Amino acid sequence: MSPLLLTRNFGDAQALSLEGYEAKGGYQALRKALAMDPAALVEEVKRAGLRGRGGAGFSTGTKWGFLPKEDGLPRYLVVNADEGEPGTFKDRPLMEQDPHQLLEGIIIASFALRASRAYVYIRGEFRQSIARMDEAIRQARAKGYLGAKVMGSAFSLEVSTHPGAGAYICGEETALLESLEGHKGQPRLKPPFPAQRGLFGRPTIINNVETLCCVPHIVGMGAEAWAALGVEKNGGTKMYCVSGQVAKPGVFELWHGTTLRALIQEQAGGPLPGRRIKAVIPGGSSSPVLTADEIDVRMDFDSLMKAGSMLGSAAVIVMDDSTSLVRALHNLTAFYSHESCGQCTPCREGTAWLHKILTKIVNGQGAIADLDRMNSICEAMVGKTICVLADACAFPVQSFTRKFRPEFEEYIKSGKRWSLTGWREESPAPGFGGGH
Amino acid sequence: MTQLDAAMKSRFDQVRALYPEAQAAVIPLLHLMQESTGKADLDAQRAVSEYLGVPLVKVHEVVSFYTLFDEKPRGRHHIMVCKTLSCALRGSQPVFDALVRELGIQPGQVTADGAFSIEAVECLGACDMGAAIQVGDRLHGQMDEEKTLRLLKELKDRGGRS
Repeated sequence: MSPLLLTRNFGDAQALSLEGYEAKGGYQALRKALAMDPAALVEEVKRAGLRGRGGAGFSTGTKWGFLPKEDGLPRYLVVNADEGEPGTFKDRPLMEQDPHQLLEGIIIASFALRASRAYVYIRGEFRQSIARMDEAIRQARAKGYLGAKVMGSAFSLEVSTHPGAGAYICGEETALLESLEGHKGQPRLKPPFPAQRGLFGRPTIINNVETLCCVPHIVGMGAEAWAALGVEKNGGTKMYCVSGQVAKPGVFELWHGTTLRALIQEQAGGPLPGRRIKAVIPGGSSSPVLTADEIDVRMDFDSLMKAGSMLGSAAVIVMDDSTSLVRALHNLTAFYSHESCGQCTPCREGTAWLHKILTKIVNGQGAIADLDRMNSICEAMVGKTICVLADACAFPVQSFTRKFRPEFEEYIKSGKRWSLTGWREESPAPGFGGGH
Repeated sequence: MTQLDAAMKSRFDQVRALYPEAQAAVIPLLHLMQESTGKADLDAQRAVSEYLGVPLVKVHEVVSFYTLFDEKPRGRHHIMVCKTLSCALRGSQPVFDALVRELGIQPGQVTADGAFSIEAVECLGACDMGAAIQVGDRLHGQMDEEKTLRLLKELKDRGGRS
C-alpha cells in the first residue's frame, strides 16, 4: 500500500524546508484552522475519534476538553517525543523526515487549546530529531507562522524543544512534566490531572508526536473523511512498527484495522528464511505476548484489548522458533528493572526480584516453583503503583510464563544456560557485562 | 564561582530565557556542559548551579538519575550498543563482544588514547535497524561483527570527536 497521510513526505528532502512542505500542500490546514473558532476545532477532533497514539488510546478531543476556562495566565501544550517503549520507532521518523507536519499539528492544537507556549520534549538520544525540529521552528518563526500574530491572526505562540536525558519513565506524562521542570523523572500522584495542574502548576495538555501529526489531516480533510479511513471507533491511519525476526523490519502507515498477520506477512516480509513465527508482542514490550495462533487479530485498540493484549504504541516484535522465550523475557525484565524510577516499592522491588529470579533460571539454576513465585510477585505489582511501569513489567512475565509454560519448564529442567537465539548452550557468564 | 566564557554564557542565557522557572533549564544546560567538556562532573554541575541559583544538590540529583549524564569523561567516540529485545534478536551481543575484544575496555572505561568508550544501553528507538549502535548523534544499523570492526577503523582514521 502506498503512503497515506503521515508518511507522504517521507524520503523527500524538500519537505524539510518550510517552502518545500508548503509546496506539497502543507500549512493549508493551519490557515483553515485559524479561521475557525477554537472550540469548534476541539469538537472537530472529537468527532474524528482521534485516539492518543502514545499507547493509552484515549480520545484526544475529550482530553483537550478537560482544560478549564481561560484565566489570563499561561497554559501549555507539551509534546511527548520521549519515544522509548522497546520496539517503537515511529515518532523519530515523523520528526526527522517531516518536521513541519508535526509543527503544523502543534500550532493548530495550541490554537484550539488557547495555549501560547508549547514545549517539545524529545529523547536526549534523538540528536537528529532535536536538530530537525529546531530548524523547522526557526523557519516557521522567520515566516511569521510562529511568534506574535501567527499568520497575521490575533493568536501568538512560541515553541521550543527540550532534550531528555535518558530515562524511559519520562514517557509517562507526569514524569515528563517533572523532567521538563528540571527534576528527577518520577511520576506524580493523580489527581490533580495535568489539564488542571500540569507544567509549572498550570493547565497542560500532553500529546504524543503521532497524535499531533494526525491533526492537520483531520482539519484539512474534515473529521468524517479522516475517520472513514479506519474502522469504527479507531479512525484514521496508524503508524505500525515491526522489528525482531522478520525479513523486512520497518515502520508502515496503514489504515487502522489491518490484521497482525497481514502486517507481518505483507508489510514486513514474513519470518526470516526457513524460520517459523513462535511469538509476537503486538504493542510494545509491555503488551501481553501472543502465540503464533493468535495473530489474526485486527490491529486496533479495541480488537487487541478483546484478544487480551494491547495496541499500545503499535510496536510489533516478532520472535521465531530459533529463539528462547526464557531469554527473551529475561531481556525485558532487565529493561524494566533498570528503568523503574524507584519511587514505589512494589515496582522498585518487584521488577528487581522478577529479574533476579529470571537471571537464576537463565543461568540454569531455576526451579519450577520459581514460575509461580514470579506470578505471585506480579500480583503484588499490578495496579498498586503510581504509574503503570510495574504493570508493564508484570504483563509480559505473566503472559510469557502462562502461554509458553512448557518451554519455561523444559528450560529449567535442562539445568543449562541457552543462547537467546540458535539453541546453543552457553557458559553462565552474563552478557553485556551486566544483567542480560 | 566557576567561570563560564562569554560564548557559553550567551548560550546559557538563551536557554534560560525559554523557561519561567530556573530549575527547568538544568537538563539542557548540563547537556551543553557535557558537549563542550565531555563530562557532567562536579565542576560542570557547580557551573550550572551557580548560574541558575539552584542548589548544587538539585543539579547533582538530576545527573545521578539520568543515564545520559556521565561524571567521568567519555571517549571522544562514545559508542552506545542497544541491548534491548529487538536488537538482541538481531545479534547485538556479538557486536558488543567484538567492541570489548577489539578495544580492550569494559563499559565505563576509556581507551588509553582517550578515543573510545562503550556503553550497553536500553532501546535506542531504532529497532528496525537492529542490531543498532549510536556514536555521537549518528545511528548505525544492521550491525554485525564485521561491520563493527570496519566502523571502528573508520572512526580511528577520522580522529576528532563524534
